[in-house]
Amino acid sequence: MTNLEKYRQAFVTALNADEQKLDDLKYQDIPEWDSVGHMSLVAELEDAFDIEMETDDIIDFSSYQKGIEILKKYHVEI
Amino acid sequence: MMEITARNIRQWSRLGPRAVYGLALAELIGRDERVYALSADLGVSSGLGRLMAEAPERYLNVGIAEQDLIGVSAGLAKEGLVPFASSFAPFITMRCADQVRMNMGYMHLNIKTVGLSSGVSVGGLGNSHFGVDDVALMRTVPGVVILSPADCVEVVKSVEAAAAYEGPVYIRLTGEAGTSGVHTDDIDFEIGKAISLCTGEDVTVIAAGSMVRVAVEVSGRLSDRGIGCAVLDMHTIKPLDVEAVRRAVERSRLIVTLEEHSVIGGLGTAVAQTVAGGDVRPRVMTLGTPDGYLKNGSYPYLLEQCGLTADAVTERIWDALQE
Repeated sequence: MTNLEKYRQAFVTALNADEQKLDDLKYQDIPEWDSVGHMSLVAELEDAFDIEMETDDIIDFSSYQKGIEILKKYHVEI
Repeated sequence: MMEITARNIRQWSRLGPRAVYGLALAELIGRDERVYALSADLGVSSGLGRLMAEAPERYLNVGIAEQDLIGVSAGLAKEGLVPFASSFAPFITMRCADQVRMNMGYMHLNIKTVGLSSGVSVGGLGNSHFGVDDVALMRTVPGVVILSPADCVEVVKSVEAAAAYEGPVYIRLTGEAGTSGVHTDDIDFEIGKAISLCTGEDVTVIAAGSMVRVAVEVSGRLSDRGIGCAVLDMHTIKPLDVEAVRRAVERSRLIVTLEEHSVIGGLGTAVAQTVAGGDVRPRVMTLGTPDGYLKNGSYPYLLEQCGLTADAVTERIWDALQE
């Protein structure tokens, strides 16, 4: 599985998100991406890429696109 | 039942006690048709946002009326249901004290109340929202079980234990989101049975709620100085695990109680009463918030002002052992 596939799969697993609508997805666009869903998503990504995200990054992670940018800090290229 | 896994523990620590209370209650409501969630206009603050959206028929908002919150809960309990009513700690205990006394105490109804953000974690909201006297108040109501979970694992366990227990329970939530937990795995959690976290022969720190994590840190620091420091996680403040206290008394030359609550009327008082009633009486040091009003400030600042940091507690114990 590529990093992109892992990244997209995390959204589908944690948020039950529609894979066709991920590119423009933002925090709270769907009911599942609330604070609880956000932490589930973070946990999925941490497990998928074997990283531990810092609190500031978890807070800044406000969209699908922003997540790609943040993961670069952890040497994960999507 | 909620699964206790390393991943869930990590996630819960980030979400904090209030959100995890909401998750645990939502899970419980999904499998027990008797359970209802109630709040006094603090549903989202109680971590109940998802439940309110997904199962609105199981959530009752009585408005900003805590006396009614207890009254409505009493009615549900009389009908055989299991109400969990939450609000900030001073509002769910002191503001509705008479309703608590009559319905949870005298009537001994099967009501579960949950005090959100007890202690001083809502530092910016000030003294009106601090929960430093809720345990003192609830301890005086006969028959009410008081639970003070040390971390989010214990929050989940407390909700499950409270639901399974037939009778009134007060669950006191302390600490804030983003704080690392005490437990890294599943635990045996039984109402009235303290959990031994560290062993040591010189001192025993008996702690509750957010202070359990501090106590564990203190134990490590004292160990570095050659002092054996046991830690008891007293997650049930009432009924107190008297046997665990007595065992601690027999092996320790100093007993320290540690709580994010006034030094008057809480865990410290309960332990001191137990020690005073026994034959062996080591010195008891009760650490908590002072008998007075605090200024507003951040949570870490207030804990520092109260001497409830690992640094301050370690020095207090060290100094006491040198006397």
